[in-house]
Amino acid sequence: MSETQNSGNISSVAETASPSAEHNGVGGSSTISVEPEPATAVPKRERRKQPRISDTPPMAPPPPRLDDYEPIIGKPELDELRFLATVLKGKSVKMVNSTAVGGGVAEMLNRLVPLMAELDVTTHWDVITGGNDFFEITKAFHNALHGGSYELSRQAQEAFLATNEQNRQRMAFEEDVIVIHDPQPAALVSSKKDHPGKWVWRCHIDLSNPNPGVWGFLRPMIDQYDAAIFSSPKFARQLAIPQYLFYPCIDPLSEKNKELDESYIQKVCDDFGVDRSRPIVTQISRFDRLKDPVGVVQAYKMARNYVDCQLVLAGGGASDDPEGAVVLKEVQEAAGDDPDIILLELPPWSALEINALQRASTLIVQKSLKEGFGLTVTEALWKSKPTIAGAVGGIPTQVIHKLTGVLVHSVEGCAYQIRYLLTHPEFAKQLGKNGHEHVKENLLMTTNVRRWVLLFRILLGLA
Amino acid sequence: MISSATPDVFTRAAPSPFHFNSSSHLLRIERERADSLGELLDALRSCPDESIFQHTFQTLQEHHYIREGFSNDFAHWAYTECNEAGLAERLAAIDVRTFTSLASLREQIIRIVEDYLKWNPLSRDRAALEPFYFCASESVVIPTPFKAQNLREFIEALKRVSIHSIHHHFIEARLRLKLASNDFSAWLEKELGLRQAAASLNRIDIYTLTLEDVRNQLIRMLSSARA
Repeated sequence: MSETQNSGNISSVAETASPSAEHNGVGGSSTISVEPEPATAVPKRERRKQPRISDTPPMAPPPPRLDDYEPIIGKPELDELRFLATVLKGKSVKMVNSTAVGGGVAEMLNRLVPLMAELDVTTHWDVITGGNDFFEITKAFHNALHGGSYELSRQAQEAFLATNEQNRQRMAFEEDVIVIHDPQPAALVSSKKDHPGKWVWRCHIDLSNPNPGVWGFLRPMIDQYDAAIFSSPKFARQLAIPQYLFYPCIDPLSEKNKELDESYIQKVCDDFGVDRSRPIVTQISRFDRLKDPVGVVQAYKMARNYVDCQLVLAGGGASDDPEGAVVLKEVQEAAGDDPDIILLELPPWSALEINALQRASTLIVQKSLKEGFGLTVTEALWKSKPTIAGAVGGIPTQVIHKLTGVLVHSVEGCAYQIRYLLTHPEFAKQLGKNGHEHVKENLLMTTNVRRWVLLFRILLGLA
Repeated sequence: MISSATPDVFTRAAPSPFHFNSSSHLLRIERERADSLGELLDALRSCPDESIFQHTFQTLQEHHYIREGFSNDFAHWAYTECNEAGLAERLAAIDVRTFTSLASLREQIIRIVEDYLKWNPLSRDRAALEPFYFCASESVVIPTPFKAQNLREFIEALKRVSIHSIHHHFIEARLRLKLASNDFSAWLEKELGLRQAAASLNRIDIYTLTLEDVRNQLIRMLSSARA
């Protein structure tokens, strides 16, 4: 795999415990944290080398073109998408969100906007601006809409509306369809009365149990839209306007999901001390209690009484989040001196390494206790990996029990499924195959482009 | 492999060509939801036809790659969220191809749930693990570039169209035709006089095959067609 994307300054590797006696020469589970500093004092190891992850984010590759998806979804599918969009030729769309970089929405828009342009649907992308006070308020709104407690003050309401008004004044809304993403720019809809376009609110968050104060404040704005989009029926609210279902999606050509050379996968495993001659069970997640990493360690330990395997827990969140550091410590304590538990704290730009670890895995676990949609599950399914996942949030939409993966509700259930799938490889393989097809049919970027095109046709009376 | 012994069957021109279309669906979230079988029954009576279509015909397409264990959303929910295996089996036995209208399909689903609750009254109000959320399908029909003037061209097109096109003509079609048949069989019989081949296609079991399997079986059966 591309050295240029991963080389650069070799990062420091801090191991809090010694590597495996059996496989690395010394006993104990290990944590590798990759920090943006040059490596100097790390002793050279026989098996575990220094991960070659850049200390700065690598340059993003250019976005794929529609034709690049043909080998994945097939020419007939692509032709149908192009045909669907023909009646939209000359129409224009504006997408508005609150950040140009970072976060799933920006990542999705970065891919969607050029693909829509290729379909001759002019798509403008505007980002609202605001001060720290505004974004502190919207972060509080975000947490409150997820069910957190929050006292909505008059001052916060006024600050929210004032920033939206400032943005409204500087933006033009001349497109045929205006799509507003999430609550931050929701009040821009007050421009609707002056423009004939259709207004859509795309809500990416779970509104199943919102704080009544914040939702009561936003609801009159949302009712002014022509339609709303949610990521799951369970995330939606009862609204007077039509509501549509757009599942979150992954891009099969992104760094996180594209096919990798076998040699690169091997190199990543060598770097991280993962032994590919033995079964590998992996969970990719932030070190966050809601992802239950300690539960995964417990399940692995129960399963290890019956089957041989290694456990890889890889993710970020421990170095930039005080709670993440506490959780990582709890996981280290739970792991104890087991040399086959490999804890990896990776920087946010480790997409290729995560891709390689997923592809090297025998099983993928996502034992979340609470979850949004769970795109790490989508990634695992796309890679045809037998997947064991907590039956929470949007996961059951993806993992149909015993058909596209297995759902679990406890540590014991997770342990049993690890044992079962490792000892029934044919069944595990069929789950992986079905999971891949499920994602291909329902959860790829191209499927979402199709959904957007259909929605625009319906809203503009062109269906 | 197309038989060379009877080339006329494959090259005889049809008076009207077969134009392959496809359809695309957008999911709308409906107001109805059910937290128990009793609520499911109420919602089944009031939901729009497009919901019945979505949770039976359309979900089959969304899960077209599965050979076993999945037939429609109502059966799946009864099994996984209500733990009512007996009801799930009966709902799963519904073959959408025996219905030529969504109204009759709705009636059958309601009848099965009513009957089950009559014999299992305690199940009516027992809370499901997760609610059933009703959705509805908004459909757009799309023409494709594929058309066939004879059986040979028809088989070649079958190899190249998307599986959505196969679903559109082979499974959804009966709602348009109001006949217990499909677009392929109707054309083969009317335009090419292939009555036996047309009838045989209706015996393909869409519930134990993936849509790719269905495609392959269609091709295999038509490749050995006799006049």
